[in-house]
Amino acid sequence: MMDQQFHLESKDINVWFGERHVLKNVSLQFPINQVTALIGPSGCGKSTFIRTLNRMHELIPSAGLAGAVLLNGEDIYGEAIDPVDVREKIGMVFQKPNPFPTMSIKENVLSGLKLSGRKIDNGAELVETSLRRASIWNEVKDRLGEPALSLSGGQQQRLCIARSLAMGPDVLLMDEPCSALDPGSTRRIEETILELKDSMTIVIVTHNMQQAQRVADQTAFFLSEDGDPGHVVEFGATNDIFHGPIDPRTNEYVNGRFG
Amino acid sequence: MSITPVQRPGKAAPWLNLGPRVRISSLLASTLPALISVGVLIALQADFMAVLITFFLPLQLLAGALAGFFSYGRKGIMDGLLLVTTFFFASFVLVLLVSVIWSVVQSGFAALSPQFIFQNNRYITGKTGLEIGGVGHAILGSVSIVGLTTLVAVPLGVFTAVYLTETRDGARGLIRTLLQAMSGLPSVVAGLFIYSMLIVSGFTTRVGIAGSLALIPLMLPTIARVAEEALRLVPVELRNGALALGAPSYKAFFMVTLPAAQSGIITAVLLGVARVIGETAPLILTTLIANETNVNLFEGGMATLPTYIYNYISLGDQTSLQRAWGAALVLLLFVGVLFLLARVVAGGGVKRSRKKKEK
Amino acid sequence: MSLQSPTIQRVKLRNKPSRTADKVFFGVARAAGYSSIVIVVAILFFLSIRAWPAFEQQGILDFTFGSGWDTTTTPPTLHIGAMLWGSFLIAGIGVAFAIPMAISIAYFIEFLAPKSIAKTATVIIDLLAAIPSVVIGLWGLGVFSPTGAGWAQMINQSLGFIPIFQNESGTFLRSPFIAGIVIAVMIVPIIASITREIFSQMDKEVINGAMALGGTRESILRKVILPTSAGGILGGILLALGRAMGETVAIFFVLNLSYDEVNWLNILEPQGGAIASLILSKFGEATNDEISALLAAGVVLFIFTLIINAVASYIVAKAQPWRKA
Repeated sequence: MMDQQFHLESKDINVWFGERHVLKNVSLQFPINQVTALIGPSGCGKSTFIRTLNRMHELIPSAGLAGAVLLNGEDIYGEAIDPVDVREKIGMVFQKPNPFPTMSIKENVLSGLKLSGRKIDNGAELVETSLRRASIWNEVKDRLGEPALSLSGGQQQRLCIARSLAMGPDVLLMDEPCSALDPGSTRRIEETILELKDSMTIVIVTHNMQQAQRVADQTAFFLSEDGDPGHVVEFGATNDIFHGPIDPRTNEYVNGRFG
Repeated sequence: MSITPVQRPGKAAPWLNLGPRVRISSLLASTLPALISVGVLIALQADFMAVLITFFLPLQLLAGALAGFFSYGRKGIMDGLLLVTTFFFASFVLVLLVSVIWSVVQSGFAALSPQFIFQNNRYITGKTGLEIGGVGHAILGSVSIVGLTTLVAVPLGVFTAVYLTETRDGARGLIRTLLQAMSGLPSVVAGLFIYSMLIVSGFTTRVGIAGSLALIPLMLPTIARVAEEALRLVPVELRNGALALGAPSYKAFFMVTLPAAQSGIITAVLLGVARVIGETAPLILTTLIANETNVNLFEGGMATLPTYIYNYISLGDQTSLQRAWGAALVLLLFVGVLFLLARVVAGGGVKRSRKKKEK
Repeated sequence: MSLQSPTIQRVKLRNKPSRTADKVFFGVARAAGYSSIVIVVAILFFLSIRAWPAFEQQGILDFTFGSGWDTTTTPPTLHIGAMLWGSFLIAGIGVAFAIPMAISIAYFIEFLAPKSIAKTATVIIDLLAAIPSVVIGLWGLGVFSPTGAGWAQMINQSLGFIPIFQNESGTFLRSPFIAGIVIAVMIVPIIASITREIFSQMDKEVINGAMALGGTRESILRKVILPTSAGGILGGILLALGRAMGETVAIFFVLNLSYDEVNWLNILEPQGGAIASLILSKFGEATNDEISALLAAGVVLFIFTLIINAVASYIVAKAQPWRKA
């Protein structure tokens, strides 16, 4: 491979919790405008890995890390880098929808700007575009002032996506965003992902094989066996991983034989 | 590719590598204002508090804001201010606690001696010095009065907890509300209650038992609340297991639930005792203070540690105040031991139940 | 075909105890539970009937809100308005001092400190809560009063142009200001432990969400943590206010009671009031009329603390519907 610069790239990421080694030598490249799915059985470290990509990992007290994460060639773990700036550029959507309970729908969309102390020039417009991009505008446009908790779970999750989009992130990380949702909401979020990838890089952790095949351009299979640290068994185009995997363990996993 | 675990290297936390800019500015911000303030304090011979509030605090806030700005830009300013305010106020709490405990230990220790702990104040006059007299009778009084309260309030409180957890009676909500109301009852009102019920009516005079009764409404809510929590923590399966074996409810409770909640119940008792052992106002209203040893709850006055302290503060002369400090130290030791025991028992209980779970 | 359902005999499962021993067991439990009702009713009943003569003699409104305590007139003038206001004033000062300290230490424990330090800080708060009020009173009299008077003098010298900091008596001891700070020491642990609990019950995912959006410590505290926990903290503050109003011996020795005149806001003057202190100070040599009046003062104090506590628990329960969801 030539000295290609990827939009986001992890280099030899190793993670420890206390003395326990949980991720070993994870090097993945996330090209711009592509969706990358991280799959693997529970406890293989994929959620841990995605949290290293926007420096949420370090909030866990016993966490340790070695390696580098390059955003446009710059290490986000560099010593002059403020994690707050990193998180502004690399947005994250969590497993459980977590809108701010005290804020209205509209305030939730603008919450990121308020939290980072940015000026809001054209709030109404930004609210509308963000909610449109998260495909939830039509459902909420008449009740923007209502509390965010009045929405259903799926709507709350799309509101959380809109909230991240309002920040104008370069990368959007999604940690099992549909695991708490019904199939209808899941489908709508998948459509949203496909629309969004034209404007950003997306990394998604998922337990759902079909979902990975529907939305992802490339897929990484994580595995942790017998208490060994989690690692990437196979990484490549989604089609190859699901239809012509090289490693037998990948084959077993994607065909539902374990995990 | 080998995937054997590798030992965590010494530097596995890149986020701790803050860079010289952050490190130098936070070092300066955390030391310079204090140093300058100490300098000013010495140079001007000014009042400590005045320098602290009018000089150190603004200077430290400024330094915090500047350090935040140099490290993280504009958004760091507010963070710097927040950290300075938080640490300032939080350490103030620490200073208060240290001040209270230190003064009690320092002044109390001067009065302390074996005779101070064992003697009563029978031969005390205005002129006797510290070498005669002590808190022996007050300790005995506290133990008797609080002991009787405990004897009544513990069964009452534990069974109230049983009522709240094991029955489906309709009045539970009301009783929880009343317990909460009782826990907010001003202690002086508890004293007035017994005074109006028993003493004004002429049933009894101001004797020990009146004091014991006055402490019950203060102790009951604490015991009931902590015991209820303890009983609630016993897994339902355990209880149901016993019931499924055909055991009657009372046996299931005494043989399964109560032993499982043992440490929680003991904690409840300890916290309940700690809650009332320092109560002063209700005892002043209901029990006459005596200088002699008396453990008869039904006749004659009786001193307790808190009323002893109150009494000698009221007298106000130097020796009396020293006696008060000494008694305060003894009382504080009592409370401290109860407090420690409660923590040990509660902590041990948690550990044990965790071990059980692991098995 | 008719869809008429067959009448089903509803058999009620007996959840009532069948055996005598169980009956006794549950009977005892029920009796213990009901004892709370008995105690509270007895408190209200006996206090009220003994206090009634005073209410009748003085008039409920005059008694509660009027001022003056004079046994030489016939009938004696026994009014507690100045004491009632003083209780509120001192509790208010105490709460004002306690809030920043309590919230700071709660925030420090839950969001800043590493685990071991947080644990120590929690023990410190519990320890502070366990110190008996008479010991705090002794500390207030012997250690804090001179210092506090010095602070009061400094405030008076630098800010004396503001009416509430004026002082005409020239002495700064035994003022509502000093009593308020002593009370603050007593209630810091109450507010701090409630606030800490509310912080710890916050959905950590919501805070993670705020961090992932690029929130800073300060903006997350101001925009997410405080709004979400405001109701609970307010409830805790009210609870502490109720406790402060009922506090007796801690302030008895550091407060000068002025019965005849309400000291509205001159917090540095050595004139104050507190119902609980009034009861303690007049109880020793009270006439029969005064005894009744002191019991009536207890009733007023009890009613006010009940109201404050009720409002507090209502706020804690209702202010945060999302916490239950």
